[in-house]
This record gives sequence, structure tokens and C-alpha cells, in this order.
Amino acid sequence: MTAPRALCRLDEIADGGAVGLCPDARGRATVVAVRRGEVVHAWRNLCPHQDRVRLGWRRDAFMNGEGTHLMCAAHGALFRPEDGICTSGPCIGDALNRVHVTVENGVVLGQPEDLPAEAVA
Amino acid sequence: MRIIGPDEMVFGVDTLEDSKAFLRDYGLEDDGTGRFLALDGTAVTVRAKDDPDLPPPLPTNNNLRQTIWGVEDQATLDEIEAELSKDRTVNKAADGTLTCQDDAGFEIAFRITRRTELNLPPERINSPGAAPGRAANEIGADEDAPARPRTLSHIVYFVPDWEVMAKFYIERLKFVITDKFTNTGPFLRPQANDDHHVLFMIQTPPYMQGIEHLAFHMKGPTELMLAGSRMVKMGYQSFWGPGRHKFGSNWFWYFSSPMGVNIEYDADMDKHDGDWTEREAPMSPENSQMFLFENVEKWAPGGPPKGKA
Repeated sequence: MTAPRALCRLDEIADGGAVGLCPDARGRATVVAVRRGEVVHAWRNLCPHQDRVRLGWRRDAFMNGEGTHLMCAAHGALFRPEDGICTSGPCIGDALNRVHVTVENGVVLGQPEDLPAEAVA
Repeated sequence: MRIIGPDEMVFGVDTLEDSKAFLRDYGLEDDGTGRFLALDGTAVTVRAKDDPDLPPPLPTNNNLRQTIWGVEDQATLDEIEAELSKDRTVNKAADGTLTCQDDAGFEIAFRITRRTELNLPPERINSPGAAPGRAANEIGADEDAPARPRTLSHIVYFVPDWEVMAKFYIERLKFVITDKFTNTGPFLRPQANDDHHVLFMIQTPPYMQGIEHLAFHMKGPTELMLAGSRMVKMGYQSFWGPGRHKFGSNWFWYFSSPMGVNIEYDADMDKHDGDWTEREAPMSPENSQMFLFENVEKWAPGGPPKGKA
């Protein structure tokens, strides 16, 4: 296994919030990371409803208004941050693809081989 | 039946401040009451989803609450009231607005249109062999030009039974089919509008019912590109485009919005009259667009290789 790569600092994600990570060549986030206390769940930034569609509506704006779910703003699909399952919307029952991350010493780490191929950073 | 097109779309959201910021950044004018206006007065209205003044929500998670259709005159309103009262309750507000549900279960309303007639210049281009579109010394590329949506162009619904829905708008409200995607739904225009479509529908499972996108007409392709580029620069999420559709010929650029619906800029849509014969094609990427681009960061080639004078 290759050495883990630092993706961001834990304190760069507001508790309960989400940020986009691992930009592609055009600066678009390929991974979305949600923080719940000291735990971070990370997901491929692609909606299971339609290929090519990214979650959110603006840079680092991924959560619904109540802050309970990740949202695909194209058609309003909501995803549980913990398991990535779509609980309402077009792809109900489908799940986001997990990107395995760990938090060590306040840094969010991912395995390079597990990160999207199109990510350049 | 002199229906013109959608006058106002009403949403109930849990992302109120983000939605307002989006609509302002998209180029609509905030009138301070939750209503965001195009240049002609057509609008999108957003309210908190628990606002008691909102029409009831759909049984799905879609945030659309009401589609308000604009008509030419009182005679048309009377005609609609008489027609729809045959088989449903049609409520009439103090200002004469009619409200009811369509056959797909969407909340709809009809009122004498609030849109004002626009008298604005088109996008002007110079084309060899044709008279110049712009006078000598008149510049075409103005990065600081305003790019404001002119008028609410069209709406697209996700609907569980497109045939039931299309029948309602065609038979009861006298919409006309311009083109159709096989087994998906038709492109429709009402009697008092010659745009290729103001209404389109896509068949989906019932749990998806709602609005898929809405679109505003821009001045032309250049203004559409300018407005969309500004949205990208502000960090907004492009959903599809820019490109040019086949049916309708309109240029398009769609953005995801905090209302959970795509919002499109469109420009240069075809016009039709009664002499038109509808076309039909399967819905596919090939048939959905003539070409598709994606925005990239600005770049320019230089002369010598990097590091050489």
C-alpha cells in the first residue's frame, strides 16, 4: 500500500458541514468530505442518478438547508452523510461511492489508489 | 385560448438565503418580497418551505409549489374557468387569479400576465454576404455588459404519465405540439406564444414528480456565454452546457440551484406557427443537442516557447 495522502486539515471542514476536495484539472472537486465531530466521511462527487452530474450548487455548498444531508442540487436528491444512501429524490435507495479516509493528528488522509483518477491534487 | 406562457414559478425551500443569492447572481432582480424578476416582470418566487402562504407541496421531495400561467385578457381567464370547472374545483382570488390542479397533480394558476412588452436590441452580428449587424466602430465584445434574463422562457416537468399530462394541456388548454421525443413527452406551446416550447415533460417514476428545470431567454448566444461564465467564476455548478439544442434550436447552459432544480439560460429559440409539422425522435444525447461544450479556465497561446524571448 502506498503512503496516505493528506487531503485537508480536519479544521478546514466545519463540524456538520462539507467541503469539496481533490480537484480535477479544471478545479472541480472530485471528492466531497462531510464532517461529523471527529469523523469524516468522503464520497465521490458524482450523483448516482445521472453520470457526470456533481453534487451541490456552488463551491463547498453541498448540504441541504437543514444540514442533515448531502444534496445533489440538480434534482434535489438527498444523501445520508454517514452511509451515502439516497433517502429521497431520483436515485432513492442508491448510494454514493465511498472514498476511504482517516483522520490522524487533525489531518484528513486518503489512499492515493482510492482517489478519483481525474484528481490532480 | 390566449395563454402566453409561464409568468411566475413558486418554490418552497429549506435553503432560502442560498436560493435568494443564487437568483440574484443568476441575474434576476430582487423585489424584496422573495420574488426575483426578469426584465419583463416574469419571475421566480422563493419562500421558506413552512411559509403558510405557499400552496401545498408535491408528495415528492421536489420544491416546486405552483406554476402561474400568464394569459392575455379576462376573456381567456373566463374561458379557462368555464373549461376547468367542468371536472374540478377552480378557486378565484380577489385579484381574479384562478387556481386549481392539473391532471398530473401540479398546482397551477392563471392570471392576466404581469409581463411588460420589451423593446430591446437583439444580439447583432456581422456576417459576410449580409448587411452588417453592427455599425462601423461598434464593438461586439464587451466583458462588462449587463447580462440580465429577459423573460421566463419554458419549464420542464418530471411526470409519472406524460400522456395524461400532455392530454390536459392539449385538449383542455389548447397547447400545440411542436416536436416530440418518443415515449417521453411533447414540446408544447400555448396559443398566444410562437416560441418552440414553453412546456416539456419527461416521464419518470412517480417519486420523481416535480420540475426538472426552468429557463429564461437571454439576448443572444454571446450574452448567454457571458452570464454562464460569470456563474462559473462565482463558483456555481454547471449542470449541462453550453451547447445548442436541436428541437427548438435554443442555445443552452444549465446550472444546479439550491432550490434543487436546474436553471437554464437559453437564447435564440425557434418560432413556429400553424404551418409547422411536428418532428419526432428518440430522446438521446445525439438528438438532444447539436454540440456540447464545457467551460474551461482562460488560456491563450503565445509566440515563443516558455522561457524564451
